[in-house]
Amino acid sequence: MPGDRFPNPTIRRDGTGFVPHTHTEVHLMSAILEARDLTKRYRLGETDVDAVRGVSLSVQEGEFVALMGPSGSGKSTLLHLLGGLDRPTSGEVVLEGEVVSELSDEDATRLRRDKTGFVFQSFNLIPLLDVTENVALPFTIAGGSRDAEQATRVRDAIALVDLADKAHHRPDQLSNGERQRVAVARALVTAPALLLADEPTGNLDYTTGSEILDALWLSCVARKQTIVLVTHDSKAAAYADRVLVIGDGQIREEIVLGRRAVHDAAPLIARLAQLGL
Amino acid sequence: MGGTFSLGWLAWRSLAARPVRSVLTAIGIALGVGVLAASLATSAGIDAAVDRTVVDILGRADLRVAAFQEAGLSAETIQAIRATGGVEAAASTLERRTYLRRPVAFVGALPAPVSVLGIEPDVDASVHALRLAEGAAIDRPDAPTALITERLATEDGYGIGGEVTIQALGDSETFRIVGIIDGDGPILGSNGRTVVIPMDAARRIFGAEGVDSVDLTMTAGSSATEVIAALEANLTREPYVLSTPTELASSLRASTADFQATTALIAAIALFVGAFLIFNTFSMTLSERVRELGLLRAAGATRRQAMGFVLTGALIVGVIGAALGVFIGLGLAALIAAHVRTIGAIPIDDVAFPLGGATLAFLVGLVVTVAAALEPAWRAGRIPPIEALRAGLDLAPARRARLRWLVVVFAAVAVVGLLAWPRAAGEAGIVTSLAVYAILLGATLLSPFLLGPLGRLAGIPFAAVLALEERLARGSLARDRSRTALTLGALTIGLAMIVAIGGVAQDARRSAGAWLEDVVPGDEVLTSIRPVGLDEGVEASMTAIDGVARVTPIARFDLALRGARVDAAAVIGSDLLADGRLTFVAGDRATALASLDRGGTAIVAASVADRLGLTVGDLMSFAVGDGRTVRLTVSGVAERTLPGAGGETILVGWSDAVDSFGVAGADVFAVRFAAAAGTSAGDAARASVHEMARERALEPAALNRIEGAVSDALGRVFALFDALAVIAVLVAALGIVNTLTMNVVERVREIGVLRATGMTRRQVRQMIVVEAGVLGLVGAFLGVVVGLLAGAVLVGASGGFSGPAELPWGSIGLAVVLGVAASMAAAYYPARIASGLPIVRAVQFE
Repeated sequence: MPGDRFPNPTIRRDGTGFVPHTHTEVHLMSAILEARDLTKRYRLGETDVDAVRGVSLSVQEGEFVALMGPSGSGKSTLLHLLGGLDRPTSGEVVLEGEVVSELSDEDATRLRRDKTGFVFQSFNLIPLLDVTENVALPFTIAGGSRDAEQATRVRDAIALVDLADKAHHRPDQLSNGERQRVAVARALVTAPALLLADEPTGNLDYTTGSEILDALWLSCVARKQTIVLVTHDSKAAAYADRVLVIGDGQIREEIVLGRRAVHDAAPLIARLAQLGL
Repeated sequence: MGGTFSLGWLAWRSLAARPVRSVLTAIGIALGVGVLAASLATSAGIDAAVDRTVVDILGRADLRVAAFQEAGLSAETIQAIRATGGVEAAASTLERRTYLRRPVAFVGALPAPVSVLGIEPDVDASVHALRLAEGAAIDRPDAPTALITERLATEDGYGIGGEVTIQALGDSETFRIVGIIDGDGPILGSNGRTVVIPMDAARRIFGAEGVDSVDLTMTAGSSATEVIAALEANLTREPYVLSTPTELASSLRASTADFQATTALIAAIALFVGAFLIFNTFSMTLSERVRELGLLRAAGATRRQAMGFVLTGALIVGVIGAALGVFIGLGLAALIAAHVRTIGAIPIDDVAFPLGGATLAFLVGLVVTVAAALEPAWRAGRIPPIEALRAGLDLAPARRARLRWLVVVFAAVAVVGLLAWPRAAGEAGIVTSLAVYAILLGATLLSPFLLGPLGRLAGIPFAAVLALEERLARGSLARDRSRTALTLGALTIGLAMIVAIGGVAQDARRSAGAWLEDVVPGDEVLTSIRPVGLDEGVEASMTAIDGVARVTPIARFDLALRGARVDAAAVIGSDLLADGRLTFVAGDRATALASLDRGGTAIVAASVADRLGLTVGDLMSFAVGDGRTVRLTVSGVAERTLPGAGGETILVGWSDAVDSFGVAGADVFAVRFAAAAGTSAGDAARASVHEMARERALEPAALNRIEGAVSDALGRVFALFDALAVIAVLVAALGIVNTLTMNVVERVREIGVLRATGMTRRQVRQMIVVEAGVLGLVGAFLGVVVGLLAGAVLVGASGGFSGPAELPWGSIGLAVVLGVAASMAAAYYPARIASGLPIVRAVQFE
């Protein structure tokens, strides 16, 4: 039972569904990722827009967290800040003890390469490279000679997303779902401390989307992979251990689902409906 | 017309939205137009110089009677000319080269020579028109006064009231300077260093009996035909050449034709490369704006309006670029004129920019711009509104059209080139230029197919260091094959020009060098300012010097054959035979050379034999005056003979030269040393010869120095062509900036992913630079191959050296370095864009 890993699963239920957790801060033991009072302000024409407003959160090692919210709620911006793709206006992000938000561009790049993996909504593969090469891209970028261990990792990552038979196909020979699975394998291949996924199922139909989520979930279960997923789809969010509902740049709600083998989104959907999302 | 106005406004906004690309395109057009304008201005400058020179030489004269023999025109002939009906005034001139004695003794090499022109002060002003910058004309035939040219005054520091001392045959003579002649003066080829003195003094100094030429004006109402007929009836004493100002001008022009033709060809190529840039730019803008155009169409814009949108943009860029180009051309023309003046062989005046030329260059730039944008505009008109609104519309079918369009643009530029072709350049030049042009086009059309395999090869050196970057860079180049091919084509053409010019230069230098060495029977030549009689003993006393193997006298003179002037040289056949000179293509070497000394025969150069249709055994009849002719039999045809004033000479023996053609003496002695320079014996022999030469007013020049001077002059001409070709490469580099930028823009998301996956900014920059490097290497390779081919065509057309060609390594090296360096430099801007992309926006980019 995967959930057994959690020493004290904070699953709260009442008769109708989930008990809302009203605090915006969640304190867990051995947090791998922490955000403290994060703010991101954009200049939009004449006005300033606060995309993220004083968000603090903490993600435990091996945890699968979903950030949910309507369009423009700031969930993607928050994800970018967490992964070091963007710099916060104030506040800090700490990944495995390293203050991401204070790193130089060079160091942030290295951190992305070594400690994080990204999956985007569009199937961002390099069209020129085949599946294996795309998956091995982080190693290739890092340079140095390809060792046997890396080769094994690449094979394992491809196997995890069930594409071993198409290891040498080009992206244009794959279906959309397969392409996104390649992207997942690429994000996982370095066994990053943190995998960030931004609407990975946004461009996919229901069945293909499930394949991606299954792959993510599997990595979480089998490899203790920490995942932060941004989605507006409650079926996707239902894969997570915990859902943070974002609205107006703040965490509005925390819903703890716990690790489940069978995903039933119905209670979550009901709760989100209650929240008007 | 509100609709058109807003369309124009929209086109302007569209250009302003991509300032870098628009500016680069305008600069590309400007450079192309600049080279064209400069070429036209240079041509105009040369024409003006030729016209001015004709005026400087002939002044008001209607006809020139020039001496044919070394003895010159006798006093009787001058008298006969003056007595001819219809002749109003006649002024004689004598022209010689010598040196000026410096006021202070100097050590070392002789200074640059001067030309001395003897005139008849009392009649000269009525025929010639010497323009004085300051001072007064020479007023008395017997006064020791002189005029000097402005250039000589400036270069050697003379002024009015000062004195010039002219090196004469015997003692030198001193003249007081009374006037400064405006500019370079009346003698072409003197490099502007001319001293004008009274005729009597000139004859005395140079020991001349006759005069070189008599220029005459005709009385009002008499016709040139009548006067010429009268002269022909009257002048029977000695052979002469009659020429009109027009004939003089056209013979001067002929010598500059090759230069003008080559400049025109390079201008056409720079424009063609510019057309690539324009075409690519508007195609790129179009594919970016497909959606916008679709929206316009959906909103009710007609096809014509959509086309108008693109064409208006082209017109705006074209007007700005072409106007800028005219100004660039102005500056460039001034630079070219300054450079050409240092060569000396080609006369050129400062160019008051001709309005006609400026307008022509401007219009040509505009027409080429709009022509290059026509196809993208046509495509713009055919965008279906609905499809344009769909994301990711593939314009693939249109890509093939680009190469088709290229052919059309090529033809347009070729037609424009033909229209702007300098008259003087002649038809053969046009055919050669078109052939070269066609080779370049062919290479461009082939480049899309060669891009893949050559790109893989070119990537190897980069892959060794930056494997991933190289792979991605190559992928990026393959993204839009025809766009890359066009960019590559432009680069190839520019670099090919450099290699082709290098090939031609190499051949010219080689044939110049090989020519002299093959025909001159000596290591050094001693040049005299007057004919040295064979009885003066120069030859014997020099041969007596220890370490001198052979001294042989040579005289160069003119002969009249079939009514035309031909160059001739008097030589000692046995000396040439013993020295092993001349390569015979027909006739027996030993027999032919031996028979020269016996008289009655001549050896002709292959080029002369070809031109006149002569073969061994043919009889040539030379007119020698008094209605007499001298007949010589062709005893042999040599690959090359001694160079004359206008071509290779007909070699005759000394006995014929003196007895039949009135040659007074040698003007050149060729000295062969027994020991090489650098050895003590060789150096001692050379020193003794030089000392003796100085005593006898002979100017020594080592053969390799003459060759050096020839190749230096060639070097300067070809350096100029190279500089112009580099401009074409520059235009191509602008195209590379555009293409690489487009390649970056089209894969913003891909770059975003790479950055998100951990690629550093530096790696991204490297990737773009490698992309440029691969492009540069492929361009350099193709450029070298195509350039060698084009060079071979140019060399072949000019009847160049036919031996096994040596590769112009210098130019090849230049092309490779320039190709790679220009491409990589062009990568700077796109690389900066790519590495500076914000990751978050990049990965969301659509």
